[in-house]
Amino acid sequence: MKEVVLAVEQLTIYRETYVAVQDVSFSLEAGTDTAIVGPNGAGKSTLVQAVLGILPCQAGNVFILGQPLSRKGSLAPQIRQQIAYLPQNFLFDRRIPLTVEELVGLGWDRLGFQLPWANRRKRRHAVRDALAKVDALHLRHQLISGLSGGETKRVLLAYCLVYPRRLLILDEAPAGLDMRGETEFYQLLYQLKQEQDWAILQISHNLDMVRRHCDRVLCLNRTLLCQGTPDMALSPENLSAAYGSEFVRYRHQH
Amino acid sequence: MPTELTRIIELFQLPFMQRALLGGILTGLMGGMLGSFTILRQLSFFSDALGHSALLGISIGLLLGLNPSVVLLPFAVVFALVVTYLLERTRLWTDALLNIIYSSSLAIAIITLSFVGQYKGGLNNLLFGDILAVRELDLVFSSFLLIICVVFIGLTLRTQMLVTLHEPLAIARGVSVSTHRTAFIVLLSLVVGVSIKAIGVLLVSAFVVIPACAARLLSRTFTNYVLLSAGLGALSAVGGMLISAAFNLPSGPSIVATQLVIFLTAMALPRLRVLGQG
Repeated sequence: MKEVVLAVEQLTIYRETYVAVQDVSFSLEAGTDTAIVGPNGAGKSTLVQAVLGILPCQAGNVFILGQPLSRKGSLAPQIRQQIAYLPQNFLFDRRIPLTVEELVGLGWDRLGFQLPWANRRKRRHAVRDALAKVDALHLRHQLISGLSGGETKRVLLAYCLVYPRRLLILDEAPAGLDMRGETEFYQLLYQLKQEQDWAILQISHNLDMVRRHCDRVLCLNRTLLCQGTPDMALSPENLSAAYGSEFVRYRHQH
Repeated sequence: MPTELTRIIELFQLPFMQRALLGGILTGLMGGMLGSFTILRQLSFFSDALGHSALLGISIGLLLGLNPSVVLLPFAVVFALVVTYLLERTRLWTDALLNIIYSSSLAIAIITLSFVGQYKGGLNNLLFGDILAVRELDLVFSSFLLIICVVFIGLTLRTQMLVTLHEPLAIARGVSVSTHRTAFIVLLSLVVGVSIKAIGVLLVSAFVVIPACAARLLSRTFTNYVLLSAGLGALSAVGGMLISAAFNLPSGPSIVATQLVIFLTAMALPRLRVLGQG
């Protein structure tokens, strides 16, 4: 039995006046990859944001590496440091003068009170190692404003792996990349997952990728419709329950 | 030119000119340092609105017979907290909401001032500041505030960078973004409040915005950007004071004009380099 990295128990989340996610329970073991699938507006992003403490949840519990997430979304800092999150469409103001090296360095820091020059050598070493692993060392002095879509994703993966993490939470991480870019992104992600032994929780619309790579699938549409292996959870019956029957007919014809 | 030089040397032997110069440098450093984050977080209009609204604080002080500088700082902090609260509670656009707040406080301020008999002479000083009236106590307070800014920004630099870049990413890392946002706005308000006496309500936001924009054009890394912004703030204060002394010009506007020259130079510099290479 592998260690449980993330446990979600009967989570219910209200957004303003409606119930966005109701009574969702699942758990994630070390080194496994779970995908959340479901139509737009199913509450997928809401769910992962509540797991991270970005959105408050109204009922239920979240445990990360055995530690409970408080109602206000706080978690012990040493646990926080072991989680990385890549938001959907990582949109940032491109006018911010931040270099690739500085951005990846932010992934390494503990973010408490510290002198700006503390641990400078260690940080630089870790940053360069991480950038080398995603084949982006040559970009380190560039401003993030000058990066292409694919380069941005690679640099963000370096931000994740610059510090040893246990859990990666990805919200449609390759969004905005073309087909080739997406394939390359997943290749790199799964190669790193093997090396780092990450547990991954990801939202994905790419069901073929999910079939190929993921250990488990959660079908979500406000409530958890089913969970299990990709073959089981992505069967036509379960897909039509999640997306509606027209979607399944469409997928079978194409 | 030699007459101007002698004039500058003579003037800066006077204690009030020395105080003014030091006050300008302190304000330039603080404005530049906080300004570097202010423009990236799109809060530059906030400092402008706070400057205008401060007139309300001053006029209330005058009406109650209190020293305006005593009223100004508590007013600035309360203003900052109220604006932050309203921004989080209403679903209006930041600039629209700030416009409502500052135009209404300006209107109420002018009405209040009409009840204070002899305000006319002072209004000019309130609008454009009187850096020559900076007292020792003001300098002590500015130095104290500068130390707080340096310590706060220095110790939380990496957190500030992440919050500026992407708030959800910062929350996912355990940063209490709302606390940081409030702390920054309160600090910015104190800096604006302290600077109003010297620079006036109309020009105070220039100290926050212009050096930071010039530094943005010249910087290749974030850390350099923050340091350069503070440095350019101080440099423009020194330059502006020298020009104001040499040609007998009003001090606050001279400093802002110097900031503009630095900004235009920063804009032209890359083009000049290209010309030089070609």
